[in-house]
Amino acid sequence: MNDLTNPVEVLGIDAGGTMTDTFFVRADGTFVVGKAQSDADEANAVLESSVDALAHWDTTVEEVYPQMVTCVFSGTAMLNRVVGRKGLRTGLIVSKGFEDFHRMGRAIQCYLGYAFEDRLHLNTHRYDEPLAHIHDTRGVTERVDSKGGVVIPVRLHEAREAARELIEQGCKAIVISFLSSYLNGTHERAVRDVVEEVKKEMGSDIPVFASVDYYPVRKETHRTNTTLLEAYAAEPSRAILSQLSDRMKEKGAKFDVRVMASHGGTIGWKAKELARSLVSGPIGGVIGAKYLAEQLKIDNIACSDIGGTSFDMALIVKSKFAMHQDGDMARLVLSLPLVAMDTIGAGAGSFVRIDPYSNSLKLGPDSAGYRVGTCWPEGGVDTVSVTDCHIILGYLNPDNFLGGILELDVPRAKQCVQDQIATPLGLSLEDAAAGVIELLDLSLRQHLRAMISAKGYAPSDFVCFSYGGGGPVHAYGYTKGLGFKETIIPAWAAGFSAFGCATADFEYRYDMSTDIGITEESTEADKQDAINTLQAAWDELTAKVLEEFRINGFAPDQVTLTPGYRMQYLGQLNDLEMDSPLKSVSKAAEWDELVGTFDETYARVYADAARSPELGFGITGAILRGSVETKKPSIPHEAEGDATPAASAVIGERPFYYNGEWVTADLYHMESLVPGNRVTGPAVIESDATTYVVPTGFETWLDGHRLFHLIEV
Amino acid sequence: MTILENPLGNKPGTLLKNGMTLNDHRNAVLARTEETGYYDGRKELTFKDTDPIGFERIFSKVRAGVVNSREVAKKIAASPIVEQEGELCFTLYNVTGDCVVTSTGIIIHVGTMGAAIKYMIQNDWESNPGINEGDMFTNNDCQTGNVHPCDIATIVPIFHDGVMVAWVGGVTHVIDTGAVGPGSMSNGQIQRFGDGLQITCRKTGINDTPLRDYLHESQRNVRTTKYWILDEKTRIAGCHMIRDMVLEVIEDEGAEAFDEFMYEVVEDGRRGLIMRIKAMCMPGTVKTVAFVDVPYTHEDVHVPSTFAKMDSIMHAPCEITVKPTGEWRLDFEGCSRWGWHTYNTNPVAFTSGIWVMMTQSLIPTERVNDGCRYATEFRLPKGTWTNPDDRRTAHADAWHFLVSSWSSLWRGISRTYFARGYLEEVNAGNSNPCNWLQGGGVNQDGEVHAVNSFETAACGTGACAVKDGLNHAAAIWNPEGDMGDIEIWELAEPLLYMGRRIKTNTGGYGKYRGGLGYETLRMVWNSADWTMFFMGNGYMNSDWGLMGGYPAATGYRFEAHNTGLQERIAEGKSLPLGQDRDPRECEYEKHLGPDATVKRDKQCITTEDMYANGDLYLNYLRGGPGFGDPLDRRIVDIQEDLNQNFLLAEFAEKVYGAVFTTDDEGVYTVDADKTAARQAEMRKERLARAVPVKEWMETERTKIIDKDASLAVQQMYASSFYLSPKFTAEFKEFWDLPADWELPEEELGTPMYGARHTMEIGDLPDVSPVIMTEE
Repeated sequence: MNDLTNPVEVLGIDAGGTMTDTFFVRADGTFVVGKAQSDADEANAVLESSVDALAHWDTTVEEVYPQMVTCVFSGTAMLNRVVGRKGLRTGLIVSKGFEDFHRMGRAIQCYLGYAFEDRLHLNTHRYDEPLAHIHDTRGVTERVDSKGGVVIPVRLHEAREAARELIEQGCKAIVISFLSSYLNGTHERAVRDVVEEVKKEMGSDIPVFASVDYYPVRKETHRTNTTLLEAYAAEPSRAILSQLSDRMKEKGAKFDVRVMASHGGTIGWKAKELARSLVSGPIGGVIGAKYLAEQLKIDNIACSDIGGTSFDMALIVKSKFAMHQDGDMARLVLSLPLVAMDTIGAGAGSFVRIDPYSNSLKLGPDSAGYRVGTCWPEGGVDTVSVTDCHIILGYLNPDNFLGGILELDVPRAKQCVQDQIATPLGLSLEDAAAGVIELLDLSLRQHLRAMISAKGYAPSDFVCFSYGGGGPVHAYGYTKGLGFKETIIPAWAAGFSAFGCATADFEYRYDMSTDIGITEESTEADKQDAINTLQAAWDELTAKVLEEFRINGFAPDQVTLTPGYRMQYLGQLNDLEMDSPLKSVSKAAEWDELVGTFDETYARVYADAARSPELGFGITGAILRGSVETKKPSIPHEAEGDATPAASAVIGERPFYYNGEWVTADLYHMESLVPGNRVTGPAVIESDATTYVVPTGFETWLDGHRLFHLIEV
Repeated sequence: MTILENPLGNKPGTLLKNGMTLNDHRNAVLARTEETGYYDGRKELTFKDTDPIGFERIFSKVRAGVVNSREVAKKIAASPIVEQEGELCFTLYNVTGDCVVTSTGIIIHVGTMGAAIKYMIQNDWESNPGINEGDMFTNNDCQTGNVHPCDIATIVPIFHDGVMVAWVGGVTHVIDTGAVGPGSMSNGQIQRFGDGLQITCRKTGINDTPLRDYLHESQRNVRTTKYWILDEKTRIAGCHMIRDMVLEVIEDEGAEAFDEFMYEVVEDGRRGLIMRIKAMCMPGTVKTVAFVDVPYTHEDVHVPSTFAKMDSIMHAPCEITVKPTGEWRLDFEGCSRWGWHTYNTNPVAFTSGIWVMMTQSLIPTERVNDGCRYATEFRLPKGTWTNPDDRRTAHADAWHFLVSSWSSLWRGISRTYFARGYLEEVNAGNSNPCNWLQGGGVNQDGEVHAVNSFETAACGTGACAVKDGLNHAAAIWNPEGDMGDIEIWELAEPLLYMGRRIKTNTGGYGKYRGGLGYETLRMVWNSADWTMFFMGNGYMNSDWGLMGGYPAATGYRFEAHNTGLQERIAEGKSLPLGQDRDPRECEYEKHLGPDATVKRDKQCITTEDMYANGDLYLNYLRGGPGFGDPLDRRIVDIQEDLNQNFLLAEFAEKVYGAVFTTDDEGVYTVDADKTAARQAEMRKERLARAVPVKEWMETERTKIIDKDASLAVQQMYASSFYLSPKFTAEFKEFWDLPADWELPEEELGTPMYGARHTMEIGDLPDVSPVIMTEE
């Protein structure tokens, strides 16, 4: 039924490799989820999934699309295009003498994403195919030095010849990337203009990308890879998003589709830098956590997301998440600003083995994935997984696994754990299975803690959010004893990423490398120059951000601009990113304010002893973020009731092994619990999508926003 | 004035809970090990067996702790060597100085800092200068176990409740140590006294604070002070993070469990290696050998002393014995003598360094610790380059000899993998990772500076028995290789890149070819006074290839001065950019001014020479060796190599017997039938050329008896014969030489300074060196 007093306002789309999920939210925060099989025609899959979702509300796409105000898309299609090397044939023009650098990659790319042991194990290393073939690569004589000075002026006749050849041999896009163009882009731009001319002469309309127009930041491999992705992978995606937008408009939609981007904001599908939407999936959760925290007025959040194969962590400090400058994805080093997340290859479905050489337990790095474990014979897995251990210990319900779609063979799991783990270690079945869980939780806990302490904080400064399909199962284990202020598990933990995408701001972010240095010997005039350079960079970036918003129909006065910078002790190779304490700068004296903010941050991250103000300070990058307000999903608000759950919420009891003994856990149905209800461990709270484990020594209560609070008692 | 009783140190026997001195305690551990064959007499792994989960919990915590500390600390550094190449490592030791767990990074340091700790223990640092909570010690002394002086170690003792419970060490590879030649692996100096600043386990900090006298003194003694000081901060910060982690583990798990763990884990590591060897290797003996050149008579090698002005060759015969028990023995009997150059090594470089290689194939796990050393017998005869018997030796580029000799170890161990059927693990020997571009002077920022390019961390790898080696990917000392971004190197070096290309034809030919190297052409730019030199192998190959595979291409050097390039740039003339594709074609020279002077030859070791802005230097990073008979290579692979510019057409014909055509666009097509026919002919030609081994040996034998060999070869053997009667006897028996045949060095007329009269570090008063190998 369509309810005009409570309209459907927000749509989040998560187009994965196998399923396309849609997440519709009404003004009051109630939501429905739809699913459809992913399709080569993505627009089609989105529509099908929408129909499926809206059926829960007994309404239709035609009724709902016209009332909606916002729609955010995130998908893996672009990533798959890159991984499968199925992008546009792209020509590459580089500084002459450097024709090989893209295909050489950085050697780091031959083991990027490997588990530790394979990183050591040389014979496992391999390179992927380059994005641009060597035969589609041309050099043009030119060179700019490390201070931006022209050493060899560009020889444009070579560029003309290069462009002609690349177009003739069938390239569908051309990327130009010269060394040190981030310091001086005149050569790249001149060549870009020549290529545009040649293109016109030849009657071609292929897109042309100069790296300086997109990612004017240091490190040529990163910059070139990223610019290549714009041509190779993002252009095809743009076509698909354009088609999706058209199809939605046909159904009456008035909103513009936005795409989740690596920097944590959403961008229009018309955005110039669309490659940054390559990375989006796991970020959604972080954005959702930030949004939720703002609603709850919590400043500092530790986000933890555990799925079947990995554990993703991120920190939100004072309502801001940190950024990585040189993220990597699909085994390519990139220049994309990326929401800083730490990922480890251990998840709820990791395989468990005894290392034959050291006779010790080994978790992962591979996992059973959709094949679950030995408990599901149809999955064809003979190796014990973490899930098997959970089943044996009574944490998961073998009769209601994934809502009961799979029939599990518990005796088989027991036999496998006995033979593969317990007997070799000389432990009982239960102790072996519990040992596996203990070590996994320990490993997650250590990584979580390390991430927090690496940024100079303690867990006691944070509230921990736990989500993802496995989050509620493991939350007690990986937070135990860390001393978080609180651990919060949303009742919609399994769909939290899709929720998060829908909460993201409409935000563009541009970065630019700068080369500013001030030492004790510097004069006031030097400082003034530094300030002027920084402001000039911010101005240039501002123009780019406003242009992006203009394309999407926003006037400059609707955009909130936030300048930032990256600073280091002069000469260091790493730097720290921070929001500027000043909206703009004009006076030499303001330099010290910028330094002060950095110095404080540095001491916190690396300990006081590592501060080196005697070296002077450098600003290595200018950053500008611009955002406009968007409609976001509301979170539920329900009145709190009794502490004691209703009898109807209790669905039974089950033997449960914890701390070396079997106890009896009460079982609850998650959806039947109401705000105010309090459950004391040992208890297991089940729903179709996830299982929430509350062992002895813990209790939990559900608040009015349908958030579970896990408390160590 | 009141004289305090031992104001510096500790009352002996107060550091440990058991009331023993550190030295007595270590000796007791060694005695129990010796007596039982198990580390510390731990025949039973009581802790691990009774509480495997608890044991694993501690392992997981300390391992994660050292790894994470490295990741955080590395961001403090300014040196691309540390930050980009990751040349830093943190290691946790038990109180006896045996490594328990090490971080990622350069795993050679499993034992180097341990050797320094053992030196402090054995030489009673306990009473003077004292070992207290909050102390820091610094070591880079090559006579105390360090590989070369540029690896600076900071070592911190860890106390819990007033009791010493562990040591933690952090090491970074610094860019410069103030040696005679700039750069971290320099040459020119020939003795320790020119090798740069050497710090012998000195107490350099108390109460967690570095001492100002040390900071001032050390900075004055090196060229790159900024890097030096930030590296120092990196090491200290990492050590302190690990110390905090250890104390927390003790709080969580209890002091007793932690203490048990710190010994048991070493025995566990010993067993781990044995299990791996049993699984991977074939019992028996493999003999292998390696050589590398030290061409010092060339006019571009300037050394301070006439006795160093000679050509010599490193000789590294090695016998690898895999025992049925899974233990193994590496015997370097017959190695040549140490020399007046910077390539000498010390035994710890072997006993510790070997794991940097073995973790790449035999034991790729996080569980490498000193237990591996206890499962390995090393024999490094005294007086050889592997174990100098003189305290004057220089070690700055010990890696020149280490990588060359280890290439043969790789071949040897690969044979045993092959025998067991682990074809995927075979590596034909890996490359000799060089050239080392080094130099110094006044850089683009007007500062006194030194450079040491680590582009060599991404050489070609050796071919495997099922696939080609990887191009530009790794170095024998670091599987996690990287060449780094040009835009980063240009910040650190006043050397403008004029090209970075894959180096055609540098992977050794074979059924599976070696990985290709690459080359970067650099133009000196924006410097004031600048010098550079070359460091690598040129006249000889150390990476020979395996089972019919060829060695990688040899080295050569190219440098050009007075190039007239700035005029050519202004006039829009052609420029030397990119590849020196076929060195015989002298491509670069075609684009230089008329007055250019060029050095293009096989002299790949030179000493500091002046370079002006506009001068050129070719940094050629080597390829890897091949595996198997090139005539067995698949046609499609030969064709692909040609089309990727990986192989010169001439060698496709000569070596692979390929018959091919090219189209208008230069695309190669190899004709399968014609190639097969040509290969059949080549096989016949081989047979026609072949002689029975006995006949060949007879000719060689005559040459030996006539001493028909270059002076450098004779000198090399003469030094091996002098040092090893056993090797001499084997040599004579093998070649069936007359009983009175001999080759004394005295008859060669080469300088013998230092050959007969030596003084060891242990001959110094009050010095007790740590010896951990059979000599």
